[in-house]
Amino acid sequence: MSKAWKLMRVMVKMQLSMANKSSMEKFGYIMIGLMMIPFGLLILFFIQGIIGNMYAALEPIGNEGVILGLLFVMMTFIFCFTSIGTVLSSFYFAEDVESFISLPFQPYQILFGKSAVPFLSLYGLNTILLLPSLVFYGIHSGSGVLYYLLGFIVWALTPIIPFVLTAIVLMFIMRFANISKNKDRTKVLVGLLGFVFAIGINVLVRLDSGTGNAAEMLTQQNALLELVTKFFPTAYFSSIALTDIGSWTGLFYFLLFVALSLGAILLFLTVGQRFYFKGVLGLSGGKRSEFDEEKVQKHVKQQSILMSLWKKEIRIIFRTPTFFTQIVVQSLFFPVFLIIIMMLDPNGPLTGWGTQLNVIEGKKVILGMFGLTVVALGINPASFSSVSRDGKSWFNHLYLPIPASKVILSKLLVSFFMNFLSILLLSLAALIVLKVPFIIWFLWFVISLITGWIASIAGLIIDLYTPKLNWTDEREVFKGRFIGIVPLALEAAVFGVVILILWNSGLEGIWTVSSVLILVLLIITAITQYFLNRMVQQKYYKIL
Amino acid sequence: MIEINRISKSFAGKHAVKDLDLSVPDGKIFGFLGPNGAGKSTTIKMMTGILPIDEGSIIMNGIDVAKEPMKAKHQFGYVPDRSDIFLRLKGIEYLNFIADVFEVPKDIRKEKIEYLTKSFGIYEALNDHIQTYSHGMRQKIVVSGVLLHDPDVWILDEPLTGLDPKSSYTLKEMMRDHARRGKIVFFSTHVLEVVEQLCDEVAIINNGHVQFKGNMAEMRQQFKDDDNLEQLFLELTQNE
Ligand SMILES: Nc1ncnc2c1ncn2[C@@H]1O[C@H](COP(=O)(O)OP(=O)(O)O)[C@@H](O)[C@H]1O
Ligand SMILES: [Mg+2]
Repeated sequence: MSKAWKLMRVMVKMQLSMANKSSMEKFGYIMIGLMMIPFGLLILFFIQGIIGNMYAALEPIGNEGVILGLLFVMMTFIFCFTSIGTVLSSFYFAEDVESFISLPFQPYQILFGKSAVPFLSLYGLNTILLLPSLVFYGIHSGSGVLYYLLGFIVWALTPIIPFVLTAIVLMFIMRFANISKNKDRTKVLVGLLGFVFAIGINVLVRLDSGTGNAAEMLTQQNALLELVTKFFPTAYFSSIALTDIGSWTGLFYFLLFVALSLGAILLFLTVGQRFYFKGVLGLSGGKRSEFDEEKVQKHVKQQSILMSLWKKEIRIIFRTPTFFTQIVVQSLFFPVFLIIIMMLDPNGPLTGWGTQLNVIEGKKVILGMFGLTVVALGINPASFSSVSRDGKSWFNHLYLPIPASKVILSKLLVSFFMNFLSILLLSLAALIVLKVPFIIWFLWFVISLITGWIASIAGLIIDLYTPKLNWTDEREVFKGRFIGIVPLALEAAVFGVVILILWNSGLEGIWTVSSVLILVLLIITAITQYFLNRMVQQKYYKIL
Repeated sequence: MIEINRISKSFAGKHAVKDLDLSVPDGKIFGFLGPNGAGKSTTIKMMTGILPIDEGSIIMNGIDVAKEPMKAKHQFGYVPDRSDIFLRLKGIEYLNFIADVFEVPKDIRKEKIEYLTKSFGIYEALNDHIQTYSHGMRQKIVVSGVLLHDPDVWILDEPLTGLDPKSSYTLKEMMRDHARRGKIVFFSTHVLEVVEQLCDEVAIINNGHVQFKGNMAEMRQQFKDDDNLEQLFLELTQNE
């Protein structure tokens, strides 16, 4: 086991080390840290409010235990959901696996080491969400020292079972995925699991809650806890352990929970020992197939350099599992999710909601929608990875006779394309389901296209300024690079001011406001474009 | 004709190439010989526009590489030392991309792709992702890409490393053929033997300095006469 610990230390160091980070990046982390403080306070405030309200409502009917049950179920969902992504990338997508496999380690030792980083992220969430919730509950119920002691142990063990369950399911899936012919495509599909999971949970909750509303269900004796037990018995155990303190039942469930958690770790390592290598060996990507002369000939055709560059970028994004999940899934997750949820529930509260927009003042509608668009398109992973994505193959652009402006334009068009896809999807939702009036949609559409273009430029400028080309694993392009939120922060600042000024200006009427807004956006586009051109001149040939 | 005029390049204050002066005549296979870390790749990267030139200038067929980069880049084809090309592309997609860049007409590219990849024995792998290629196969696809647009100047950085004997022979024949047509082949290597087999002219580089330049007979003579070169000679002949 000491070997496993050592391995874990090396792996954690490699992934989280600050040593080779530039001072600019370190500064960025500090800034993020500072920005997180008010955010964290907000979360605390929020949690306190929810728990306080629920406690006040449920305590008179003696049903306050439901709060903890609900809390643990939610945490279980959250942990399962986040684990899908972190486990996949750490266990299977990270290319460093191969270098560890050639060393004399047991599968379970490698697995143990590889669990460290996913686990750390779970504990981060655990500390932000579960810890304060348990404390607030303790305060409201006036619990004694024993509650806090048991609560702490339960808190420490809660992430284990969801993590192990997810990891084991994924190990089985990957074991079979590994047999497939096109490994990369399979990885991409498995990467979509998180999405399926989110939708599945949504459907389950809907089916189960039927037509009744949550408040009604809360008052029904044990209805919720039953729901809990159905899917996640351990959540039930830990909530009983913390509500029935001092009774034999409480103690029993507490010990049961502890035993199950420890058992889960053993199960995880045992299953891992048998199945991990089966899933990971020979997984590293690429496609080999039967030779088909016609298919080869089909690719031979002449096209413009710009088109050729653009296709190359798109192919690389869609074929590289990490890029696909980080760029395509992330940009489209929200709109697709929204559409599916609305389609599953055609008579839901959102349907036809857009018709109410007619009542509201036109100016506010446009500015409000614009604000949402800025947030939705502001973080575009395709844009702030434009140059970094190329990694060690970047230099190929330098010796080929392709003007810098063309390469850059092709990259811009790729990130704009991603934005464009989400705008299209949102348009479908807006027009068909929400029934937003056509004119409002049209104005929003034009404004969003320009905003998307500006956001793409902003991300590209930042990436060109501090590109990360020396990666060995694609995840490094996204992970630990704070620059993703820099464009968003810049845009939020600039566009925020624009919105504020227009909101308070004397301008009235949807057409007037929209025209002024579009004019302002076009000016901003010209300015950012100018900065981009300058950045290209200064940096393009000097990145290496 | 390539003229390299007193170029220098330093990384973090340390010189990788210092005052390097060379002239490569047409119709010759020019060997650029030196041990690992001598500065061969750095020189070649400056010739190809990958690295900016700190000092000095490079003139290729009368075109200043730094002043008219686009024009210069149409003159040469370059085979890098690392095969870090776009790994997620299929072989055929890569070749078609290169052909698009150099605007090779469709029927010519079709014919050439078939001829080149067949003679390197990678035709049947064209539909696979480059990621699944071995080092040698990657080398071959890059060389095919270069030959596809038929540049006047070939610049090859350690092109024979990793090739099997048959492909190595094919490539050498192609290099000889190119020089015979009055064009330039400039390639680097750390193996003396390769230079002896192949080159008309040679320059020996060590620690960023040119230690010797001349033809093969002069080189052999110099190795005997010059004590400094003798040590270098040992480094270049041991192993491989
Ligand atoms: N990007 C770089 N940063 C720092 N030093 C470099 C870089 N590239 C090359 N060097 C150094 O320059 C010298 C020459 O390297 P190179 O031209 O690659 O040698 P070779 O003759 O083997 O191709 C070496 O000492 C190498 O360490
Ligand atoms: Mg080299």
